[in-house]
Amino acid sequence: MKITFILLLICNILYSHPHTFIEVYPDVIVHNNKITKISFKWKLDEMSSSMLIIELDENGDGKIDKDENTFAYENYFMPLVDYNFYTDISIQNKIKRFPSPSNFKALIENNRLCYSFELINLQLDIHSTKFDFGDTDFFVAMILKKEFVTTNAKNVKVNDLDNDFYFGYRMEIQ
Amino acid sequence: MIFILDIEWRYNKKMYIIELYNQFLKQLIMLQYQLNSYISTTIRSLNDDNSLLTSLLILGIAFLYGLVHAAGPGHGKALVAFYFTSNKANYQKAFKMGYMISIIHALSALLFTFGIFYILKTMFRKNFNEMSAIAMQISAGMIICVGLYLIYEAYKSKKFKELQIEKQNKSEYVVALSAGIVPCPGVMTIVLFCIVLKQYFLGVLAAITMSIGMGLTISLAGILSITLHKKADNFLDKKGFILEMAGGFLVLLLGVFLFFSLRHS
Repeated sequence: MKITFILLLICNILYSHPHTFIEVYPDVIVHNNKITKISFKWKLDEMSSSMLIIELDENGDGKIDKDENTFAYENYFMPLVDYNFYTDISIQNKIKRFPSPSNFKALIENNRLCYSFELINLQLDIHSTKFDFGDTDFFVAMILKKEFVTTNAKNVKVNDLDNDFYFGYRMEIQ
Repeated sequence: MIFILDIEWRYNKKMYIIELYNQFLKQLIMLQYQLNSYISTTIRSLNDDNSLLTSLLILGIAFLYGLVHAAGPGHGKALVAFYFTSNKANYQKAFKMGYMISIIHALSALLFTFGIFYILKTMFRKNFNEMSAIAMQISAGMIICVGLYLIYEAYKSKKFKELQIEKQNKSEYVVALSAGIVPCPGVMTIVLFCIVLKQYFLGVLAAITMSIGMGLTISLAGILSITLHKKADNFLDKKGFILEMAGGFLVLLLGVFLFFSLRHS
């Protein structure tokens, strides 16, 4: 039985592994030790982008027009609310609901689909707020590097997120 | 005191294993991330530099991508491992099973990709998600059947051992089909990317080489399971049916878990 439990541990998760890679570029604005605004830019990998661009750029002009942007927002971006936009914002270690994103824009840059959006009117204490990026279903891999983050705060810390069966990143503003 | 030290040692050991697993996952993801980027850049460059060498390079990367891609959770490794926990087999069988799964996986991905792209034409992602969900439900149903079958076989083999070998071959195909029927999104993405760039033949070849890589990794899961089974068999001596029964139950649980998680997603 021990053997089967070892096997169970090794092969534990049936569910998927990343098929889409999203690079996360956050721009964090801090005022009086409070995070007041975050502008996000997600850059999807080129192969996943090509799949989505076929659908989103309906007229094939290499740009996402206003109507196409609305379609992308309603059909592809907003359904991610079920996944908390792959971003857990925790205050004093309690995960909060992801604030409603505004100014959504889908763009095509260097054959890659990008989503840009903002979280505005925030009042998040920098000492007790943490941002965890990752997909618990492990279908999407969120990639965050320290050099991807821009901020007017003194410092930013990006660490590997210690989840048992999926991988993610934690961002802390200091 | 010794008891406390023992608990502490076990706890540290467990933490160490989890940390190792996390690091393993991270390396897998970063490697896939790099290979994914490298493969798309190379395929795109083929339009300008249409050489045989570049095509071979793409196929080489596709093979590596398949190898690494299947090393992450999923791709029927759990099913293969549990199946071989329940069945005595040799290493050739593990390779046969691994490659049967990856061939079905690739064929299914090719069929889905070309089908959706040329027949349905629109809403690729949406259609893919819907069809994939149906395929996963079929897969879950088949895995449950395989689990029940293995439990039945384990029970029967306790009484009539000689009947086991003939029946086992049939269940191998069902296991391969149930694991492979769900198309691999990784393969589909590469194929679709090649279609968009009008590199149709390269897309099919990339799907095949990626599957060869995946087949190798899935086979290794089977080999590991067979090795453990052999060791456990020696240990359990004449009570090997316990292991067979456990393997059947684990396959059944896997199917039930997959079925219910699909209903909730």
